[in-house]
Amino acid sequence: MAENWLEIPGENINVQEIMRQIRQRIAAREGLESTETDEPESIAASLWEEVIGDQAGLAGLPLSQRECDIVPRGYVIEWRVPVLGPIHALVRRIINAEIRRYLLPALEKQSTFNRKVRRMLIDLIRENALLRQEIIELRQKLEQDQQG
Amino acid sequence: MQVHQFHPTVSFGDAVSNQILSLQHLLRQLGYRSEIFCEQPPIQFEGRTRLIHEYIRYSSPENLLLIHFSLGYSPQVLSWLDQLPDRKVLVYHNITPCTYFWGVNESYHEAARAGREQLKWMSTLVEAGWGVSKFNAQELAEYGWTHLDVLSLVFDPVRYKTRPDPKVMRRWSGKVNILFVGRVVPNKRFEDVIITFYFFKQRVCPDAHLFLVGSAHGMEPYLEFLQALVKRLGLSSSVLFTGHVSTSQLVAYYRCASVFLCMSEHEGFGMPLLESMYFGVPIVAYKAAAVPETLDGCGVLVTKKDHAAIAELIGLLLEDGALRERIVARQRERVKAFFPEQIRERLAILLQNLTSG
Repeated sequence: MAENWLEIPGENINVQEIMRQIRQRIAAREGLESTETDEPESIAASLWEEVIGDQAGLAGLPLSQRECDIVPRGYVIEWRVPVLGPIHALVRRIINAEIRRYLLPALEKQSTFNRKVRRMLIDLIRENALLRQEIIELRQKLEQDQQG
Repeated sequence: MQVHQFHPTVSFGDAVSNQILSLQHLLRQLGYRSEIFCEQPPIQFEGRTRLIHEYIRYSSPENLLLIHFSLGYSPQVLSWLDQLPDRKVLVYHNITPCTYFWGVNESYHEAARAGREQLKWMSTLVEAGWGVSKFNAQELAEYGWTHLDVLSLVFDPVRYKTRPDPKVMRRWSGKVNILFVGRVVPNKRFEDVIITFYFFKQRVCPDAHLFLVGSAHGMEPYLEFLQALVKRLGLSSSVLFTGHVSTSQLVAYYRCASVFLCMSEHEGFGMPLLESMYFGVPIVAYKAAAVPETLDGCGVLVTKKDHAAIAELIGLLLEDGALRERIVARQRERVKAFFPEQIRERLAILLQNLTSG
């Protein structure tokens, strides 16, 4: 741990003492039985890779994350006829709420599915590129063997 | 002189929109005629904003147009701005470096990249740049801007004078709750908040909960990643992604919070820090970007993301009432610097400088 990793401004606050207490608390927990996952940071890093993925394959796939998302976010029915004001407002609110309740969850599921399919496609593109490269190398090796 | 404002859109709850609405109020108090112009019609705030094609009726070389900038503008807006005879000042809210959006949202990535490109030459379009923090003004300086000033965000307590949501209060009041508020975007490093909370829950307080308050609109892959992380760490029953909340819900989450934990790596200002100060929630924040400037001698800053140590620090803050009180007292003093009357004074000086210089 870096020596001065903590800054607490204030006349009556002893930062060194607080850091000492924190070190003491950490030390006191060492050796205690624990159910902790070893490396939450590594889990986060691998999940990032898994969910967001590196973008090397993107160039080969003309389908953006944005296009996967088919939910009309922020869409509301606009109805501004002033004659029956409050009734119109109520009807509009009900229709908007119902659309959100029934339609949006389904569209969210579809969007998640789209993103997963897109990631799989990226993986396939990458895998395909590796296999093509392997074929080229094998062919070259075969030619060399035949010549030799 | 009239002082109008432009931003591509105005929506409920985001810091830029709130600032635009607050500035309009202050400008009118200072005696200026002031309207808000948008490129796209807002979903809310009907009647409070106008579309840019209406600006022709207001446009004049005598007027000042405050251009709020937080993402790249469309070519249409750039050309519209270029043709206006009005005096212009850019209000810079900061643009998150585009690399944070890589793989999460390509449109955002592109808009952020374009925004930084546009910053380079926008100094030729306007006569001054006002950063909402020194950090932002410094960034403009790095892009070659010379006429720079700082006009902070307005913190208006009136906005929070609402009854805290009773459902949230009933469910969470009196418990140990860690809070972070902000849009679910990668630069805010929600994953680090979750990891620190993991250690806090494992080692310090098994009953604790974590509230992650903010919209994930447009950042669904990032949200998916965070939800997967929460699941893998066995925190599903302790971590709450609230999504977008109403003001009364927001107030309730602050009222129920024990500590505000911010691990963000890029903030142009950090409005939730001010909210935490106002609601008396002790802040533990990673020292990055404009965060230390916004805190300016209050809260707790960490310079290293040692999650286990930060978890113990939070534990200490909860146990040591006197320490907590001293920190909260300084925070309450700090937030006063952003109250409307202070910012109005500053705004008047900046406008005076423009008219006299």
